[in-house]
Amino acid sequence: MNKIVAWIDQRFPLTPFIKHELTDYPTPRNLSYWWGFGFLAGFVLVIQIVTGIFLAMHYKPDSSMAFDSIQHIMREVNYGWLIRYLHSTGASAFFAVIYTHMARTLYYGSYRRPRELLWWTGQGLLLLMMATAFMGYLLPWGQMSYWGATVITNLFSATPVIGGQIVTWLRGGFAVDDPTLTRFFSLHYLFPFLIFAAVVVHLVALHTVRSSNPSGINLADKDNIPFHPYFTIKDLFGLGIFMIVYLMIVFFKPNLFIDAANNIPANPMQTPADIVPEWYFLPFYAILRAVPDLAGGVVAMAISVLIFAAMPYLDRSRITGGARYRPVYRAMFYVFVINIFVLGYVGAHPPSGPLKTVGEISTTIYFLIFLLLPFISRWEEKFVLARGLPPAVEAQARKEIAEAEGHV
Amino acid sequence: MSKSRFFGLLFCLIFPLAVSAEETQLQRGAHVALEVCNACHSLKYVKYSDLTRLGFTKAQVDSMRGEKEMGAPLLSQMAPNDELGMFGIVPPDLSLMAKAREGGAEYIYSMITGFYTDSNGQTANHVFPGIKMPDVFMIAQADASGRREIEQKAKDVSAFLAWASDPQAEERKTLGRYVIGYFVFLTILLFFLKKKIWSRLG
Repeated sequence: MNKIVAWIDQRFPLTPFIKHELTDYPTPRNLSYWWGFGFLAGFVLVIQIVTGIFLAMHYKPDSSMAFDSIQHIMREVNYGWLIRYLHSTGASAFFAVIYTHMARTLYYGSYRRPRELLWWTGQGLLLLMMATAFMGYLLPWGQMSYWGATVITNLFSATPVIGGQIVTWLRGGFAVDDPTLTRFFSLHYLFPFLIFAAVVVHLVALHTVRSSNPSGINLADKDNIPFHPYFTIKDLFGLGIFMIVYLMIVFFKPNLFIDAANNIPANPMQTPADIVPEWYFLPFYAILRAVPDLAGGVVAMAISVLIFAAMPYLDRSRITGGARYRPVYRAMFYVFVINIFVLGYVGAHPPSGPLKTVGEISTTIYFLIFLLLPFISRWEEKFVLARGLPPAVEAQARKEIAEAEGHV
Repeated sequence: MSKSRFFGLLFCLIFPLAVSAEETQLQRGAHVALEVCNACHSLKYVKYSDLTRLGFTKAQVDSMRGEKEMGAPLLSQMAPNDELGMFGIVPPDLSLMAKAREGGAEYIYSMITGFYTDSNGQTANHVFPGIKMPDVFMIAQADASGRREIEQKAKDVSAFLAWASDPQAEERKTLGRYVIGYFVFLTILLFFLKKKIWSRLG
């Protein structure tokens, strides 16, 4: 064994790589389980790719056969139902994990200097993931697949001048049809590998700047421990908990996230009573509908997703440790999270009466939180410093302020 | 006597319990689905051979399928074009109906038993206004005892359609118990292993 490793090491830096990235990789020992969601996301990505490859062996990307081929997988392929439910539930699990991962980043301020690029690669991953999920949802060729794709591709008609052409170009025709299905299938198979590559970039960025930690203080060497075995085992235990929850849904509630209308084959002649996207798009869908004008709604929706990238600049506080030592930011974080759930609820229901007003208010709150953050965070910084902080946190905050001011 | 009848009879003699035991709800529902619904509605994702999984003997399935192949899907007895002429639509396929409506089997039950005679003497439906399907069990005209009988049939056929939409549900739940049990055990081991490894840090 050692001989083989030595042989490889002369030709490829295997041992140094493992040493540098795993057995010697310094990780803050105070990371909580909230820091395990990145690993979970990587694991779900692998589940999705593996189950997806097996589904593609039996699936027919043809508008006259797609729906039937799903039932063929569900009924005739050996454990086809399991593969398909793992995949369809996996999509929801992926978003649940990623949203938690993002919430942790926001709560602990992990997007802050020097982790901006890490955060932005994550933002890119989110966009790729959304595109992949959206295209994958067309493949079962049910009513919701068809009309969801119709509504979302139609959003591009808001583009000035060439809007109509863009929509036709995206769909491969004037309406969602066989050419749309085949191109979505092709891209739905491609994008996960782009995501995989982007994850490698994300990890390179992570291993350059290293993990943030809940204290917000740059830890001394003695407080860092090797990633392996301490965090491999911690992440594996977290994975066990995740798998129990995920598999409970797969085996006992597999249709929880599958809209009833998607068990009706796509019918271009019949619009469903209410076109609702998957739960993970609902808050953004609510924002889209809260703006009366189509172009305005599309712009608002796009900004609502992309604005996360601006967080390193919107948050101007230099108090470290994220929301922990920042009462106002903490309150804003919780308001934001509750507001997201309200938007999700609004997005799932027809926009009429009081719900319409709720959607408009929630959308306003969503953007106000981001827009007020630069002012509130700077004011809060002064307030918190005046009130007093644990010495280590205060020292680091004052150091960062001095550095920033020195640059000016 | 045809060969299949002969073997069916032989089967009955060898396993008398399988025949004498009362029919299960799914079996009763299957009879309703085949004798009533299947006249107009297809169940194209269900094959005659699948019915053996409900505990029907091969002989029983043979008598249900008539001339059709064992591996043939349960297509409607009427040609779709005739149906289009008669009802104005082709009656929807029922194999996924229990999954395709919010409420699933309960929805189907409420729809079947939801027929009533409105103030104009027309048959209407509480659950599905403007339904093109006739009141096949004639529940709108039934008296109390007839109603109870129809409600039982509706319950049975709804349960059968729930099975038809998700025939692996039983297998899935059985397997699920083992899989979850395995992961709970594994996770407990991982928890103690984690404790042990982290204890080195002191």
